[in-house]
Amino acid sequence: MVTHEEILKIANLAKLSVTPEELDSLTEDMNKIIGFADTINAASSDKSTDFDNINGLSNVLREDSAELSYSRDDILKNAEDSEDGYFVVRRRR
Amino acid sequence: MGKYGKIAQLQEMLSSGEISCTELTKKYLSVIGKENGALNAYINVTADAALKTAAEVDKDIAAGKELAPLEGIPMALKDNISTKGMETTCCSKILGGYVPIYDATVWSVLKNQKAVLLGKTNMDEFAMGSSCETSCHGGAKNPHNLKRVAGGSSGGAASAVSGNLAAYALGSDTGGSIRQPASFCGAVGFKPTYGTVSRYGLIAYASSFDQIGPIASSVEDAARVYDVISVYDKMDSTSSGQKEPVLPALENDIRGKKIGIVKEYFDGVRSDVKEALLKAADVFHSLGAETVEFSMPSIHYSLPVYYILACAEASSNLGRYDGIRYGYQTEHYTSRNEMICKTRSEGFGAEVKRRILLGTYVLSSGYYDAYYKKAQDLRGAIVQAFDGAFSKCDVILAPTVPMTAFPENYAAKDPVETYQTDICTVPVNIAGLPAVSVPCGFGSDGMPVGMQILGPKFSESTVLNFANMYESAARETSFKDTGMGVSL
Repeated sequence: MVTHEEILKIANLAKLSVTPEELDSLTEDMNKIIGFADTINAASSDKSTDFDNINGLSNVLREDSAELSYSRDDILKNAEDSEDGYFVVRRRR
Repeated sequence: MGKYGKIAQLQEMLSSGEISCTELTKKYLSVIGKENGALNAYINVTADAALKTAAEVDKDIAAGKELAPLEGIPMALKDNISTKGMETTCCSKILGGYVPIYDATVWSVLKNQKAVLLGKTNMDEFAMGSSCETSCHGGAKNPHNLKRVAGGSSGGAASAVSGNLAAYALGSDTGGSIRQPASFCGAVGFKPTYGTVSRYGLIAYASSFDQIGPIASSVEDAARVYDVISVYDKMDSTSSGQKEPVLPALENDIRGKKIGIVKEYFDGVRSDVKEALLKAADVFHSLGAETVEFSMPSIHYSLPVYYILACAEASSNLGRYDGIRYGYQTEHYTSRNEMICKTRSEGFGAEVKRRILLGTYVLSSGYYDAYYKKAQDLRGAIVQAFDGAFSKCDVILAPTVPMTAFPENYAAKDPVETYQTDICTVPVNIAGLPAVSVPCGFGSDGMPVGMQILGPKFSESTVLNFANMYESAARETSFKDTGMGVSL
């Protein structure tokens, strides 16, 4: 069973806030979902398959040379707030 | 080519001068104006850009230029595919107002061909859902019955194609999100081998599962689109591209080929859906293919394995939404931590939060080995089970979904109950295989039933060949035009 405390701890790790009103139903949902995830425990795990990546790919590295990328102005276009080429986070709002 | 290819037919009309691309585009925009209100397939219609491209296509035709394979064809993109200068939101409040500064590779490839983009289609928020109803715009409706869902997560794409509001659409498939809505809406949905179509610019849900593919109104059309978009891309570290075009293989003889029927795929499948699948198997017998039955017990674990791994990847991928660099930011806060937590809690919907929490839980200290590590081991076992299966047969035939389209407001029920409807689609994503969903008849409720044909990695020409041979033999009894949208 997952407790209220565990849900709050996990939510904090995930940077989500949970209101007291949401906590009961969320804990109930998460218990169902984790109970469902627990069904993998019935599978035998006597051998590890060493699963690494899906197509057995290995890294391909390019030459370490400078290339043009997006401009700073473009990158900042979607920001809530920016100043002098920086993202801005106001201390309080 | 075959007689059901809508794209070839439209291109013939364009190059013969029967209709101009501008007229064709206006025709689509006009029916979208009339019918999208009921279907909710598009969440953003890009009329100006569409007409601008159409005018360029008309210039090419006037100049006597040969049309590129998808040039001038009106189409749609799922809203998780980045379009430079056009809002892309994954149907989430947290990406409200986000306008990408670059194109997804699939879109830049299509744009270079002068594909006519009609708009962005509705989807479950961040592609997390099976009904399209977790979208912040409400769900897309099913053109076969407006009281039923279009499915998910690419519900808007399937609804647009089935309602003839686009000639084809691109969706994405992480656990069935192309095939399931295609099945519900009576369209063809193709999820290619992982890596064959670039994911660059596809907003990430679960990176080792996500794959872009087409939803179309015939197998030929799906193959035509796939041949164009399956290019190697250095911007995607998992890109492999495609070796050979699939279109020339569509009419290959399938006599003597073996179709696997896997017992576990039929467990819990509704009887009318099972019946439609058995009839489809008979069509394959009449085409000279053989069926072989066998068992794959590890399929039983594919659902929890999928949800553990996909949510783990999602919890990491969605960590980027902090309200600072793009998208929604909360109004009031007193600290940076509070700003981020409030932004995320207000910006994400309930299903996305549940999946982030599950993903964070299975990756957290003390639980990693029991869930994430174990699920990765089982993923490897499922890959091996498919390798074994394809030593016995060329392709596997399975239902796409154990039932037909759900009634609307389905997402309101128990989350686990919804997850369980993905049982037939997730195994393919776990193993990175190609699979196509093709309409194969109707359920007792009159709604379309879809069957899946799946094959080993990089066997797209084989699975589409089987699908096309079936369609050629049984289109009359398996497909139904919805009578909506543009009629040719």
